[in-house]
Amino acid sequence: MNAIILSALGGIVMMFTGIFTQNKIVIKNIAIITLLLLLIGNLLHFYGIYMLHVDVKDMLQFNNFGLFFNTIAFTSTLIYFLLSGTDITKVGINVAEYFALIFFVLCGVSILTSFHNLLMLFLGIEILSIPLYILTGADKKNLKSNEAALKYFLMGSFSTGILLMGIALLYGASGNFSIESVPSTTSKVAEMANSSILTPLGLLFVFVALLFKVSAAPFHFWVPDVYDGAPSVFTSFMATIAKAVGFIAFIFLFESRIAELGPSSRIIIPFVIILTLLIGNITAVFQQSVKRMLAYSSIAQAGFMLFVLYSNNDISSEGILLYSVAYSFATIGIFAILIKMKDYTFEGYNGLAKKEPLIAAANTIFLLSLAGIPLTAGFFAKYYMLLSAIKANGQNALWLVIVAVLFAAVSVYYYFRVIQAMYFKEGNPEIATTNTSFKVILLALAAIIIFIGLFPTVVLNFLYF
Amino acid sequence: MNAIEILFWLLSALAIISAMMVLLSKNPVHSVLWLIAVFFAISGHYILLNAQFLAIVNIIVYAGAIMVLFLFVIMLMNLNKESEPKRNFWRILIGIISGGSLLMILVSLIRQATEINNKNALMESGNIGLIKTLGKLLFSDYVVPFEISSVLFLSAMVGAVVIGKKE
Repeated sequence: MNAIILSALGGIVMMFTGIFTQNKIVIKNIAIITLLLLLIGNLLHFYGIYMLHVDVKDMLQFNNFGLFFNTIAFTSTLIYFLLSGTDITKVGINVAEYFALIFFVLCGVSILTSFHNLLMLFLGIEILSIPLYILTGADKKNLKSNEAALKYFLMGSFSTGILLMGIALLYGASGNFSIESVPSTTSKVAEMANSSILTPLGLLFVFVALLFKVSAAPFHFWVPDVYDGAPSVFTSFMATIAKAVGFIAFIFLFESRIAELGPSSRIIIPFVIILTLLIGNITAVFQQSVKRMLAYSSIAQAGFMLFVLYSNNDISSEGILLYSVAYSFATIGIFAILIKMKDYTFEGYNGLAKKEPLIAAANTIFLLSLAGIPLTAGFFAKYYMLLSAIKANGQNALWLVIVAVLFAAVSVYYYFRVIQAMYFKEGNPEIATTNTSFKVILLALAAIIIFIGLFPTVVLNFLYF
Repeated sequence: MNAIEILFWLLSALAIISAMMVLLSKNPVHSVLWLIAVFFAISGHYILLNAQFLAIVNIIVYAGAIMVLFLFVIMLMNLNKESEPKRNFWRILIGIISGGSLLMILVSLIRQATEINNKNALMESGNIGLIKTLGKLLFSDYVVPFEISSVLFLSAMVGAVVIGKKE
């Protein structure tokens, strides 16, 4: 509850900051301080210190898993503010409002990590999405940004409609909004519908809507255009924190109910995983722009994260947390560098290593982590996801794991294209001037990624204490 | 035949006639106006069923907000005779088949719904739709989502200002 209240308050604080000051540096620093308070408030929840005692009527449930994901999300946002905060202030004139909207997204994140009721799932997803639609269109003078925002809004509204339809069907089947399947004893409708098709159909609708939100194929069509059209700073936020939380919502919802999706769930989930990996990886190979390549690569990474639904056990829950850390940190780092570049194509990176050796080195580590090369966090993230599939289904899962590894090998090609451009090609890349603190934070982030790659259990130990 | 029954038949006739006029009128703006009449007639039915809240919300949301959007879309589309799609035989046939299928499903559903046979609607006696009942539920069992939805509206409002403000 601390996180929900504090993030909403943080948004309001940022709104009012916009009245009292127009100084961009002040606004950015207030945002960072508010975020630190939010992070501390969330950590206090671990130790049982609450701001308010609210009777949540079992609509929210707080456990270490959700709180830990909150911590990951807030830490990622903190790093994001520190690295790209200055660039957020350059998007337009409504600087304070952008930060306010980001805080509202974080409020949605903290609801999605604690919901225990379909009503809260709906509210969480909407609080998460609506600020994102606006941030996508924040660059009002840019036609591509306008198009992306409209596309995102329309597609997002449709998927919300499907989600609501699914929730309505589930309500019809059980007579309540609980995420656990407790058939109501009083509802006449539930009695009639007990053995009916309502529950699987409702779950399927909710499943489809959530697949849309996490940009899994075949519901990925909005991703490239929206990620490409949105201002790069906001793409960075959208592709990481807002996306990873979709999987947490998935876990909470399907932990207990995946079997009720019917026998078809054993077919649908591997099908979605393979299609996502295929489309994400193969299309990313043909991209000319690094930003668009990252959009497709984020679809491909979603394919790996979807393993959490396939295996649905303890290892996969640990794995998704590790994956969120590895993926969010690396992507935020890559985008922080991308924003500074003038030319977003692969050629734009030519010869970066000569001009800015430190930035190029950090970028290399981030890309290696995304590709899943050992000694980086990305390796263990992928390892845990694949291990969980083997643990869950034994030999039957072997073919799926082999396919996933093959696609991970494909992904190495397009990640290494950037590294190749930076180190082995001649050129004079145009990069905005960066100050020392930017480089220091970037290198610290790279160091964290390597540290997690060496000792992944350090992160996971947080879950159990 | 008491007053409620007379009102019921009057409102039903008004609803059906207006609904027919929505389809039959040539001018799209007239269609929208007839649609507003349908919503008012249905709201009248809700009041007969003792569901005042639903009746008012139906008028505010549908007859108010959504109809205005409809009108805006129609005005922006700039419809006229030339741009109207030509009616051909196949188009009409497809329309008849799909509309007929829907009608068949609805009729068969109502025939099969033995639950509602010989049951009367809760005229004047039901209290489910009263604002009092709804308010009590909203501020007891559903108070958490009710309060949290304020964050949703706040973020939407901030967004509207960000998008709409002149730079």
